Amino acid sequence: MTAQSQVIVHDPTLRDGQHAVRHQLDAGQIRGYAAAVDAAGVPVVEVGHGNGIGASSLQVGRSRISDDEMLATAREALAHSRLATLMLPGWATTADLRKAVRHGVDVVRVAAHCTEASVTARHLGAIRELGAEAQGVLLMSHMASPGELAEQCALMVGYGAQAVCIFDSAGHYLPGDVTARITAITAAVDVPVAFHGHNNLGMAVANSVAAGEAGARTIDACARGFGAGAGNTQLEVLVAVLERYGYRTGIDLRRLADAADLAERTLMPVPPTIDSTSLVSGLAGVFSGFKRPVLAAAESQGVHPWDIFVELGQRRAIAGQEDLIPETARTLAGQGAGR
Amino acid sequence: MPSNTVHAAVLGSGLLGLDLVERMQNSPHLSCELVVGRTSHSRGLAQAAELGCAIAAGGVAALLDSGQRFDIVFDATNAFEHPEHWARLAGTGAVLIDLTPTSGGALIVPTVNGDQAAAHQHIGLVSCGGQASIPVLHALAQHYCPEYVEMVATAASVSVGWASRLNLDEFVETTEGAIRWFTGAGEAKTMLNISAAAPPPPFRIAMTMVSPGVEQDQVREVVEAAAAAMRTVVPGYRITSCTVTGDTARVIAEVTATRNRMPVHAGNLEVISAAAIYAAEQHALNKVPALKELAR
Repeated sequence: MTAQSQVIVHDPTLRDGQHAVRHQLDAGQIRGYAAAVDAAGVPVVEVGHGNGIGASSLQVGRSRISDDEMLATAREALAHSRLATLMLPGWATTADLRKAVRHGVDVVRVAAHCTEASVTARHLGAIRELGAEAQGVLLMSHMASPGELAEQCALMVGYGAQAVCIFDSAGHYLPGDVTARITAITAAVDVPVAFHGHNNLGMAVANSVAAGEAGARTIDACARGFGAGAGNTQLEVLVAVLERYGYRTGIDLRRLADAADLAERTLMPVPPTIDSTSLVSGLAGVFSGFKRPVLAAAESQGVHPWDIFVELGQRRAIAGQEDLIPETARTLAGQGAGR
Repeated sequence: MPSNTVHAAVLGSGLLGLDLVERMQNSPHLSCELVVGRTSHSRGLAQAAELGCAIAAGGVAALLDSGQRFDIVFDATNAFEHPEHWARLAGTGAVLIDLTPTSGGALIVPTVNGDQAAAHQHIGLVSCGGQASIPVLHALAQHYCPEYVEMVATAASVSVGWASRLNLDEFVETTEGAIRWFTGAGEAKTMLNISAAAPPPPFRIAMTMVSPGVEQDQVREVVEAAAAAMRTVVPGYRITSCTVTGDTARVIAEVTATRNRMPVHAGNLEVISAAAIYAAEQHALNKVPALKELAR
């Protein structure tokens, strides 16, 4: 990407930020923030349960308000910005997609673990048929090589994806990792490529710049980095940095800074910070949602949570393998790894 | 052909189809007469032939063209094709046992209503997640009135084939409907995770039931009894966690496969394959009343 080229900033504050407040954002919060970023010229605003539409459940947390109300509220507040949402096949269905598109969603992202692109086939096709823009997302993308990611992205394009996106779900990347992956993907597909960073190692903005330099056309970022654990790429900082690099975003930075202040006042108890748990989970490349069970297992086995995260990273544990946590803690305790 | 067996055919030559063949070869009541694949060069069809089965390519049309009469046809294809299979087979008199996640047939879960299988010509087996959760949820619903039931299934990526990946919507909708039907819950939610973890994890089912009055000791007793009954059909079924907090009971079950062809983690395939054979044997026993007497 050359200087003066355009970057589309995609703002999932009202979706990814939900993780930080147990999916409790209400209609007033959504309306206020959506209107503020719309006025600032943010081109795409993503809204939903933290795990996407259809995911409100005891398993991952119930939303304060329904998907319908979230999307309708945001749509009303967005005069100019495109409205986006996210779905995970197996958690949401085509029926949820139909409702979302009826509420005026312009962009739907279909997400899968980085090696499981094939599960996105049906829903990418369904979104195209419904007339919205279909984007494919690969989660925990650091667990796959650049070549594997390129192959998986090419599959999603074959299923109908009009853009593909890699998420650094664990916040593990350094800029060089991002450059290698975005370069491989842009060489393999002829649709726009997007990058979604997390800030566990304090590298989210730097990684996003690396993505842009390697050819990514869309960058995700959240006001104040609002998101689980260490949070996401910080939106207002990203836009400022992109401008210094000479990219055009079409965003009024001064108004965006005001919107970020509003987000801090109205959406979050405190802005995200990189605590030691977030740091080690990013370092180890482990799903940040393991935090609570890891702390519990560390407590019950008398081992250091740091050591559990490092061991889980070596075992390449992923979401859904929570049962590995007590087992890992017991193993470490057996090896005499004290706190 | 011994006279005390029924003639069966299998639509679909994936891992499930092959497991059905092996199970029939171990059954005194079922005889596999034909395995039908989509294309003649499928590896599954070659394996079925190695197992000694007659094979054909060309889908349901090939089955109808075979000139053979089948008492039972197993549908191990996918939810998109199943309705057509039923439409074309209903008139032949064959019992159709549906292993895809469609909801057209009478829903049968062996330890819950398996004795009703013989009464229906079109049998639906809900889904792998339904087969693994409904025995426990139904047992709890005999003691409590659930307001809300949630089931989250996690299957190893290598055990979830292309057809299943295309049928996730049907998996969710059919399983939610069946859970409501079997438990009377006002609301049910189902989700499926596909885990790429290595080594592949066993099939895991996390069940949550919100119901006033749930009580730890009774819940544990009911759940363990349901699991013990389940093990008579699926030996690799076990409860790994069972807790009650307030009005909420949480139960986690794991299913491992215990048969040769099936990898240990493929409990999702094992549980529905076992249910299909169970339903077929009920028909066989019903067809030959003398056998039913012997089996008692």
